[in-house]
Amino acid sequence: MKASDDADLARLIMSVAEGDRTALRALYTATAPKLLGIILRIVQDRGAAEDALQEVFVRIWQRAGSYDPNGGTPFPWLAAIARHKAIDRLRQEKVARLTQAEEGWLERLADLGDGEADLARRDALAHCLDAVEPAQRDCLVLAYCEGWSREELAARHDRPVNTIKTWLRRGLTGLRSCLEAV
Amino acid sequence: MSTGPGKFGPGDGAEAPPFWVEDPDGAAGEYVLGTLDAAERAAFVRALDQTPALRAAVAAWEARLAPLAATAPAMEPDPRVWAGIEAQVAAHPDAQDTDAAGTARIVRLERGLRRWRFGAAAASALAAGLALWIVAGPRPAPDGRQYLAVVDRGGALPALIVRVDLDRGRVHVRSLAAETPPDRSLELWYIHAGTAPRSLGLITDATETLTVPSDLRSDAPDATLAVTVEPKGGAPGGKATGPVIYSGRLIRE
Repeated sequence: MKASDDADLARLIMSVAEGDRTALRALYTATAPKLLGIILRIVQDRGAAEDALQEVFVRIWQRAGSYDPNGGTPFPWLAAIARHKAIDRLRQEKVARLTQAEEGWLERLADLGDGEADLARRDALAHCLDAVEPAQRDCLVLAYCEGWSREELAARHDRPVNTIKTWLRRGLTGLRSCLEAV
Repeated sequence: MSTGPGKFGPGDGAEAPPFWVEDPDGAAGEYVLGTLDAAERAAFVRALDQTPALRAAVAAWEARLAPLAATAPAMEPDPRVWAGIEAQVAAHPDAQDTDAAGTARIVRLERGLRRWRFGAAAASALAAGLALWIVAGPRPAPDGRQYLAVVDRGGALPALIVRVDLDRGRVHVRSLAAETPPDRSLELWYIHAGTAPRSLGLITDATETLTVPSDLRSDAPDATLAVTVEPKGGAPGGKATGPVIYSGRLIRE
């Protein structure tokens, strides 16, 4: 999202908090396709993903008052609601993962257009993920983008679940140190 | 969460320290990744409510990782998604409802109702009821004498058109598609910020002309109209009791 879009989205969320349904509609028009993309990457069934999207916007309607414009840009707040809803649904249904991991998310990070992410944040994240040890990075990216659980990652890497947990924590620590140093 | 021997907590029988105390930032990161197991995730969500430091750690991870969320390709949702959202959002405000039979009908009435085409009535105010009504937003200039409000039912046909003519002291109500639940009456209220709602009368299926109470005739620019579901014959004691099903600001013609 561009910085100018961020200001518009923040205003819309604040209007939604006041019960403005027209603002909810505008927010939906502006963000639903992107949020559906985020959900669909995790919940791979289209119908289930759209059900989750509906719940996401009902939640946005109920929780818009908790959005703090000084606490950050609106996209991470919206994306977090969508990802948590998707992960909750994925874990509840306990469906076996049917598809192979998509390998390209990290590469897509570098290819994002100007309008899709804050460039400085994007470049810093790409740089710092690149510095994380490859197996740890694979776990971080698949967990975040596709909702892989520790158990699924353990099977993928043929390692104990506790090793995966250690990798995730080390990967996160490394990522954070790097991002704070950039 | 398992209960521990009480060595760490404040007082006897305290729970074992939560799983996240050793590495709160790592736990927050894993919560954002989605890799906490079910028990950890549930415990962490409960802790989030009470622990601002954890919320801050979570928000920081959300911001750090968000560019990766942006790599998901956008997909246009099916129109049914918005229809479902709209129905749930419309059904939400009348949780404070009266009897069960009435509730079902009113929920049906609410469904598909859009906010007034003009004006800025707040749905949260609908939920709070008339007593807490707050009129927000810029006001029309107070120099006109004719005002109009339109209710959109989500389709081409408005439910109600209300025209206020201050010169004649008349309110003309055209009820086009307003549904009155059986054994109930729809009542029209004039609401001026900071004062109690005033009844303008009942709305029936026929075209109605109502009289603007004389002491309200200068207030129209600041007014909101609302329609509530009341017992047959109107609100007892002149005080609105039922849920607001239509509302909107008067706009100068």
